[in-house]
Amino acid sequence: MSTKIGIPRSLFYFKFIPLWKSFFTELGAEIVVSEPTNRRILDDGVKSCVDEACLPVKLFHGHVLNLKDKVDYIFVPRFTSISRNEYICPEFGGLPDMVRHTLKDLPPLIDTEINMRRSENGAFKAAEEIAAKLDVGRKDARHAFRTAMNNYCDFRYQALCGVIPFMNIEVTRRIQGDGSRGSLCEPQEPSPWIGPARGQFPRTASVIQENRPSGCFEPREPSPRSTSPRSTQIAVIGHPYNIYDRYISMDLLGKLKKFDIGIKTVEMVGEEDINEYSSKLKKPLFWNYGRKAYGAALHLAQKGEIDGMICVTSFGCGIDSFVYDLIERKVRNEYEIPFIIMTVDEHSGEAGFNTRLEAFIDMLSWRKSNENDVSSSG
Amino acid sequence: MRADGHYLGIDVGSVSTNLVLTDLDGNMVKKLYLRTSGQPIKSLMEGLKEIAGAHRSPLIAAAGATGSGRGLAGVIAGADVVKNEITAHAVAAQRIVPGVKTILEIGGQDSKIIILRNGVVYDFAMNTVCAAGTGSFLDRQAARLGVPIEEFGDLALRSGSPVRIAGRCAVFAESDMIHKQQSGHSNEDIVKGLCEALVRNYLSNLAKGKELSEPVVFQGGVAANKGIAAAFEKALGVRVIIPEDHAVMGAYGAALIARQARLADKTFLTKFTGFEALNRIYSTTSRECNGCTNLCEIVELLSDGVVEARWGDRCGKWSSSTVAKTSISDRQLYAMQK
Repeated sequence: MSTKIGIPRSLFYFKFIPLWKSFFTELGAEIVVSEPTNRRILDDGVKSCVDEACLPVKLFHGHVLNLKDKVDYIFVPRFTSISRNEYICPEFGGLPDMVRHTLKDLPPLIDTEINMRRSENGAFKAAEEIAAKLDVGRKDARHAFRTAMNNYCDFRYQALCGVIPFMNIEVTRRIQGDGSRGSLCEPQEPSPWIGPARGQFPRTASVIQENRPSGCFEPREPSPRSTSPRSTQIAVIGHPYNIYDRYISMDLLGKLKKFDIGIKTVEMVGEEDINEYSSKLKKPLFWNYGRKAYGAALHLAQKGEIDGMICVTSFGCGIDSFVYDLIERKVRNEYEIPFIIMTVDEHSGEAGFNTRLEAFIDMLSWRKSNENDVSSSG
Repeated sequence: MRADGHYLGIDVGSVSTNLVLTDLDGNMVKKLYLRTSGQPIKSLMEGLKEIAGAHRSPLIAAAGATGSGRGLAGVIAGADVVKNEITAHAVAAQRIVPGVKTILEIGGQDSKIIILRNGVVYDFAMNTVCAAGTGSFLDRQAARLGVPIEEFGDLALRSGSPVRIAGRCAVFAESDMIHKQQSGHSNEDIVKGLCEALVRNYLSNLAKGKELSEPVVFQGGVAANKGIAAAFEKALGVRVIIPEDHAVMGAYGAALIARQARLADKTFLTKFTGFEALNRIYSTTSRECNGCTNLCEIVELLSDGVVEARWGDRCGKWSSSTVAKTSISDRQLYAMQK
């Protein structure tokens, strides 16, 4: 029987699951992902985690508990850095310790450090260490990691081509009219690659993002002949684990879809475009997410294809607090794009959230129709 | 009243339930301000009963619902439009004060700021997770001081030197206020200090970084409080306009939006069934759904014991199975008149 590896459906799941899934499968292990976030997971997480942590970290604890009795190992890597000369939130670095000391009777954790701050080879090193724990040799580990990177590549390309991550399955199900059981209860996994064939796999994440295959990146450009006004587009800026987790985001993306609004997220903007703007800052942001959010937000604003911007933050997030302020000033002063910050926490009453969202959408269409009025009279 | 049509606006808020009746041109002809007292259905029924009148009820051309209980009101009354409070307040303020650029709105549990430019909502903010700068905060402190809330504003105006009270949070304010009381400050100075603390809290929470240009309109239930209005004028250094109907602006906005909806659609037929609803007995039940681990709290609205609507689920399993109700007499009557 193969070893069962539990992966919490939380935090970097929403960034790296295609990679992890294929890596562990290549190593001959079986993957068990925790259930989509639900009230029980939230309650368990809030109950067990330290009080000062942000909601996503509390939820992570809930997801670990959800896996507790189902697996041989739980994958809780110690993320120090996922890009050169940049850091991520320190709570990620302390995650294995936090989990180990607050939750009792857990299966062993795979808590390998992933540190790519000095070199992207850090990822290979981590892959080898993880493989060693599962008694897999270096050569096979490297092979498994390359295959996994290919898979991750596909996932990234899809997003760059305009597919909203973690929304695909749900969308097809709606189209098929098979929504009877309530799609929210269903697992959300990225669907297989549907775009043009990819080139040879590059070695690491940042290289991948620079080597976009031609004919893939721009398929969604509006055709110049079309004269009908494009539909409303909103940029949703936020940590993947906040915006793609439908429970904590109060299904923000789904709600926007229901209003027939197009969505752009940070994952849908290429690395070059992000860097074009983030490199203009006087002092580089040393947070990986901060750089991406800032660069992507300004790129989308500059391109002029969005009508509004929603920044989603979990209450108490340190990085968001200053990055969003930076974005807000720029976007408000230079682009005149409606902007709103939506804060999520433990609240499950949606009334306040919905009121803000509906008023924001009203504001966009009000502004839009007003602009149309002006142009038709003049 | 029957010869003319009317528009009805309903605002079911956490503290008050307001109804406004307008004529076909959108002028307010009747307004009701009722305490919700935690029973939105009951207060809504009372309001509808009063609008319906003893003899011949007015003919409703279209109805709109707003407020945090708008979903509930929309189902019971058969509202044609169900709109958020921010849009409703903006629409109403623009009608009363054309060219308004800043709207300050403080209600029972919510406070909002709405910025308009060229007749369009340009920006807004609403208090997020706590109700520190709202009417319930004042209510509570007034009760602690033993001052009826109606006299609160006048008392504040009599103060010569307001004391400074911490306004960041209701709990902080309360302990600060008790200390000031204990050191012998007069009630009017403390009350005025509270007004200024609330305004400071409001401005730093909601108005940060926003340009508050004139005309400035102050509305919502708290606008009745002269002490707060004076504190706003002092803090902003501008004249603050308080509409006569400041307490029912949300409901008025809902009526105006219903009017717009009807005027925009030539084939419009109202779904309003509010007066028939008076003959039915409405009740709600709630239970936990065990369909998945979300354990959603499902609310069921029953009319005469029959389920009319459900909500509270995340997946849509229950809310989508709601039976749409067909409206009867008013709708046909109106179609004939048109």
